[in-house]
Amino acid sequence: MSKIVAMAAKDIRILFRDKLGFFFTVFFPLMMAIFFGAMFANLSRGPANIPVALVDEDRTAGSERFVTRLEAAGGLELEQLPREQALEQVRRGQTAVMVTLSPGFGAAMDNPFQTTPRVELAVDPTQFAAAGMTRGILLEVAGAELQALMTDSARIQATNDRNRRLIEQFTPPSAARDDFLTFIELSSRVSTLVEQLGLDGNATGAVAGGFGPPLEIGQTEVQAEQRGPTNSYASSFPQAMLWVLIGGSVSFSMSIAIERSRGTLMRLLVSPITTRHLLAAKGLACLTTTLVTSTALITLGVTVFGVKPTSYPLLALALLCASICFCGIMMALSVIGKTEQAAAGVGWGLALPFSMLGGGMVPLFLMPEWMQLLGNISPMKWTLVAYEGAIWRGFTLTEMLAPCAVLVGIGVVAFAIGARNLRWHTG
Amino acid sequence: MLLFDHVSKSFGDLRAVDDLSFELEAGEVFGLLGPNGAGKTTAINMAVGLLEPDEGVVRFAGETFDRDPREAENRQALGLAPQSIALYEEISSADNLRFFGRLHGLKGPDLEERVSACLDFADLTDVRKKSVSKYSGGMKRRLNLAVAIVHDPDLVLLDEPTVGVDPQSRNAIFDRVEQLRDDGKQIVYTTHYMEEAQRLCDRVAIMDRGRLMALDTVRALIEAHGGPGKLAVQTGDKESIHDTTDPLGTLAQLQERETVEHFQYRPPDLETVFLNLTGRALRD
Repeated sequence: MSKIVAMAAKDIRILFRDKLGFFFTVFFPLMMAIFFGAMFANLSRGPANIPVALVDEDRTAGSERFVTRLEAAGGLELEQLPREQALEQVRRGQTAVMVTLSPGFGAAMDNPFQTTPRVELAVDPTQFAAAGMTRGILLEVAGAELQALMTDSARIQATNDRNRRLIEQFTPPSAARDDFLTFIELSSRVSTLVEQLGLDGNATGAVAGGFGPPLEIGQTEVQAEQRGPTNSYASSFPQAMLWVLIGGSVSFSMSIAIERSRGTLMRLLVSPITTRHLLAAKGLACLTTTLVTSTALITLGVTVFGVKPTSYPLLALALLCASICFCGIMMALSVIGKTEQAAAGVGWGLALPFSMLGGGMVPLFLMPEWMQLLGNISPMKWTLVAYEGAIWRGFTLTEMLAPCAVLVGIGVVAFAIGARNLRWHTG
Repeated sequence: MLLFDHVSKSFGDLRAVDDLSFELEAGEVFGLLGPNGAGKTTAINMAVGLLEPDEGVVRFAGETFDRDPREAENRQALGLAPQSIALYEEISSADNLRFFGRLHGLKGPDLEERVSACLDFADLTDVRKKSVSKYSGGMKRRLNLAVAIVHDPDLVLLDEPTVGVDPQSRNAIFDRVEQLRDDGKQIVYTTHYMEEAQRLCDRVAIMDRGRLMALDTVRALIEAHGGPGKLAVQTGDKESIHDTTDPLGTLAQLQERETVEHFQYRPPDLETVFLNLTGRALRD
């Protein structure tokens, strides 16, 4: 037994002597706990504020009442915009969903038994979770509106009066017409009863029960709305191309660590080349590999999976800038991890949280605001923005400049940090 | 060819090299002899520009020693075989030589000529296309040495080139070092095996804990610091050891008193030099 204890004690001692192992054993799980804790804490306070662009093309009292109720419901960060502007926001990824209340929406809300009210959603295809939550909130608000209609005697009376006038005006006398008028009369008596019982505007959901869905919701993806039919690969390929970069940068950071551990880095450094030559060669190898692999992947997407980039020149620019960024990251990683195991550990250990922060794994709107803000330092976020901008969001050159500038900036800074420290890690 | 002038280097509190001075003479094999931790590898790393001295200067080439090894273009005249085998194991020996040759500016027929010469030198011509990962330890050691000379440098630094090799491979490496010397190369050879220093080196610098304890030819070192030799004598059931600088005279005196059945004489060597200089055995 004492031998087993001795061996176990030795392993634990070695683990705690290995700073990187210690980090992944203790601090990495802690980091994950903080990340998911903060995210779930945000969720437990109710749905996070999903950015929604609202287009009210109806502009009636009914639609405005619905909007007011929607604002009060919480969970959505509503911004009323003209249709084109709203669509542009979704296309640029600044808003997850566009909700359109078409002409006639208010009338349908006032008389849901005649026509089920309908809204149209235009969704960022990378934000289906946000769209799902928006649908839920819309249905909840429509249900509440229907409930209010059923318990507001004045509105019931007004609806009944209008319906009675329409029937008397346009329907010839018949038994069916008489039956329908009797139904309206009964409905009016119900409204009087509601008033007498003091339930006015204060009823439970049961009053509105027994009807079908209070709202019809149509949904399209914004890329389809903008540019005709496309497919889901347009949004999955940017993600895949991002993982090419992550994998490439981790592999190349390992290659430097391997050179170091097998001694060839020393050989390179004592040959008549400068450290600058060496770094340039490593950077070039990484850049070439990531560019070629990413290009091969998107070529496959275009030729086999029907992905249609909106701009090939901008896609080339995005590929170049993202590759520069990740080559810089490769260089920084290579000086953190002195051995290949350490380099791989550090690489993947950083890739996961940065992917999370960048929205690569969990939708950004689920995160608290500070975490979303922190996400702006994630190169993964800006890579996706640039790739999606060129592949389906239809970015202009001006729109592409911001993510590209951020990517190149991160790449240059990371490369400089790596280059500065590389020489001193050869011994 | 190589000058160390009052060079010191520390790592934190550890003084790895302390006030080291020496100057290589033309065409010699210069040995740095000392136990592990003596500062030999640190000295080599400063000689090739990998480390910068805290104090003093390291210069090489020409009578005026005007080149700083930290400047990349100056390193063309240096060749280093590191202590650990530093090769790309996934590719062949010929490709390793080609790659490092290109780094030193070789190309075309000149490169191919040097690659062939180095493969011959390392006795690897027959397996030139095999990946290095399939080589034995001795073959890798020879290739490690060959890569250091692919660009035909004037000064070759060999950092413990026989560590971890079998006696046969060790002899093969000795032969190649002697061949390099015969070709007119200047060689710095670090080792903690006194037999190697004694066999190969024209002059030896004995280092301990970063300091230069003595520097001279092997013979002069032994004469100055080796002390008397050890004569072990067996007479009947009795064994005795006698310190002597004249073993034949001592033996004759002993034979006058009693019958010597067996004797063995161990002359002073670099091991005893190190022991006398430091109070410790070389392998402590």
